[in-house]
Amino acid sequence: MRAAVAADQFYQETRDLRVTGFLLFMVSDLVLFSSFIFAYLYLRNTGQGWPPPGAPHLNLALAALNSVALFGSGATIHFALENWKHEKFMKFAGWMLATIMLGIMFLSGQGIEYYSLYTVDHASWAGSGVFGASFFTLTGMHGLHVFAGIIYLTVLLLQAAQGKYTFKYYTGLTLGTLYWHFVDVIWVVLFSIFYLI
Amino acid sequence: MEHFAIVERSAAVFFGMLVFIAAAVALKNDWKATGVENQVFKLMLALLAFGALLGIFAGLGIIGKA
Amino acid sequence: MAVTAPQPGGIADHIHPEPQGFIRKYVFSIDHKIIGIQYIVTSFVFMILGGLLAELIRIQLMNANGGFMTPDTYNEVYTIHGSTMVWLVIVPMVTGGFGNFVFPLQIGARDVAFPWLNMVSFWMFPPAGLLLYASFLVGAPVAGWTEYPPVSLQGGPGTSMWCVAIFLVGVGTTLTGINFLVTALKMRAPGMTFTRMPLFVWAQFATAPLVMIATTALAAALAALFMERQFGVPFYDPTKGGSPLLWQHMFWFYSHPAVYIMILPVFGIISEIFPTFARKPIFGYKMIAFSSISIALLGFMVWAHHMFTSGLAPFLQLPFMIMTMVIAIPTGIKVFSWLATLWGGKIQYTTAMLFAIAFIATFTLGGISGVFLAAIPFDLWAHGTYFIVAHIHYVLVGGSLTGIFAGMFYWYPKMTGRFMNETLGRWTFWLFVIGLNGTFVPMHWLGLMGMPRRVAEYDPQFQTINQVESLFSFVMTLAILLFFVNALWSIRHGKRAGHNPWHARTLEWQIPSPPPYYNFKHIPTVLANPYAFDEPVPYAGLEDELTDSPAPIPAGAY
Repeated sequence: MRAAVAADQFYQETRDLRVTGFLLFMVSDLVLFSSFIFAYLYLRNTGQGWPPPGAPHLNLALAALNSVALFGSGATIHFALENWKHEKFMKFAGWMLATIMLGIMFLSGQGIEYYSLYTVDHASWAGSGVFGASFFTLTGMHGLHVFAGIIYLTVLLLQAAQGKYTFKYYTGLTLGTLYWHFVDVIWVVLFSIFYLI
Repeated sequence: MEHFAIVERSAAVFFGMLVFIAAAVALKNDWKATGVENQVFKLMLALLAFGALLGIFAGLGIIGKA
Repeated sequence: MAVTAPQPGGIADHIHPEPQGFIRKYVFSIDHKIIGIQYIVTSFVFMILGGLLAELIRIQLMNANGGFMTPDTYNEVYTIHGSTMVWLVIVPMVTGGFGNFVFPLQIGARDVAFPWLNMVSFWMFPPAGLLLYASFLVGAPVAGWTEYPPVSLQGGPGTSMWCVAIFLVGVGTTLTGINFLVTALKMRAPGMTFTRMPLFVWAQFATAPLVMIATTALAAALAALFMERQFGVPFYDPTKGGSPLLWQHMFWFYSHPAVYIMILPVFGIISEIFPTFARKPIFGYKMIAFSSISIALLGFMVWAHHMFTSGLAPFLQLPFMIMTMVIAIPTGIKVFSWLATLWGGKIQYTTAMLFAIAFIATFTLGGISGVFLAAIPFDLWAHGTYFIVAHIHYVLVGGSLTGIFAGMFYWYPKMTGRFMNETLGRWTFWLFVIGLNGTFVPMHWLGLMGMPRRVAEYDPQFQTINQVESLFSFVMTLAILLFFVNALWSIRHGKRAGHNPWHARTLEWQIPSPPPYYNFKHIPTVLANPYAFDEPVPYAGLEDELTDSPAPIPAGAY
């Protein structure tokens, strides 16, 4: 009994440390994105007008659908964690799978966008000008985060299936959810600054 | 590419509404949750709902450059 | 060995098993004390290299026509000198080094929050340093430690290596910042409220968010520079629509907070040394603590004062000038609080105390020339001259490095269990202070007379002053060599110090020297802040620390 109490206290305190540390990591990752966003807005507002000559035409319709898919994955992972808290493993696994699929959908959409920018529309690439530089750097960095997130969530799902987490001790799943939400929310900003303004 | 646009736009509007409702419901259910990570979750859900709205409006052609 | 029964509980009772074998103990250690010493030793090694480069610069400048090096080599040498001293010496020393060794002990923790991450952070640092020095083989960067484009876009592959090296150091320090912030927030001993934290802990607590946020911004700037150089992705090249000013904004958004990263922990060191050797409570405890926080906050709002001559809109210049001058207020609060601490104290002139007193004078000089430079009209005159060089060296050598020496003499007995030699220490002190002022005071004059910085050859009218500076710089080098001799000799031959030779009152001095791997047998309870010198030490539960009572039982590997 004493041992169980001790284990529980240890778990609570470690969880506290890990969640705080992870939130701080997210803050510094946010600063990384913010710096590049600052660079983009700076170049946008100090150059000879925007869009610069030769800047390609972005596919707003595709991006809107794509964004909605990614935002939807934010909702599905939320449901996954809620189901885990209510001790429903199968539903958790289903929502996790849905999240991973939506993530893959988003990446494929980005792939289509990149491909069409690269081939059809002025053969634009990161080296072709300040527009390409900021667009491909920021969305590429975000895409890498999504890609890492997909792997991360897959690993979490497999670990959960193997019984690494219990319905009482599941800090790893919370952190994964935090990460995925972060990736979603960054896209709200990126979508706005590249496609909407 | 152009003939896909109408499909993509209507899909964005439809699923955007779905996501908005889901995020709003989740936010309502979580509203009373405490703990630092839940506060962050709430903030994230609110931003997601906002993002879904952006997606809907972009799909409807109200905002955006294209 | 007999062991006490494990108590139920949380992290406070979670003890790593004693590390076994040389590798686990001294190389890939997860013990914050060992990692701290690793940081300090590595930084000192890089300080020797950086100091060597500094002496090469001084030799070159002894003759107005140069001749010792080609101008290109000279550019490489001062670039690597600056980069070394900032990123491989002072930043790792004050955050990773003193921070790791002292700060978990002072808050009564067994380790930092993420010991394994701490090891990873450290091991990003030596390879990065080697990479930086390897850039000499392929043509080192030439644009100075600030690496302004477009020059930094043109040099050889060394500049890209510079980007990677600084990026690596940056990631390491960012992780350290996160680690320390979590530790300070979550792992303080019971009873240690914010107003009972030692001032060194306050300093680290104010520095950690600076490290975490500012360094990430630098990482972005470096990544962009690297991509532009290697893959032609245009950010900074004006011919492709980029902007060189963008680099300056991003770089100084890091590098101005970085000077506070380099000085705030040193303020903490000084705030520990003064009350201990004046035998008197620190004056204005809360004011010193809050001024650290306000310096950290203001530090983010002043970066463009480095860019007054870069073509910044006038309506932007004015607020940056005012905010910069505002920083003098919290800094002044600290200086006057230290002076008031000395006032009426029973001062013991140990070497650590001598360095701390010298710190006030030399740092204040650097601070005052900083206020000069914040004034736009003066900055337009002095920008890019030796006045800037004088200012930065007064702040970093007269400030940070002097404070680091003070801290080394102060905590050396805790790290090794032995004193450093005081006689040699006094020689070090006097040679260092004379060399320091002799080298850098005349740079103010040179700057005001118009000698530009970063030149390999110069107007012959400045030659005499430069020769005098070089001679004094040799004196300073001698002092630093004496310090190294002293530190190495004292490891084996120093006088034994006991657990609390200075009769200090913070927690790290209440346990044996060097501290055992578990730090505290029982985590103490803190009853008051540590600076009330006329009362007994304000901790409960420390009775067993210095007795032969058995060590606590390890609770499994982390």
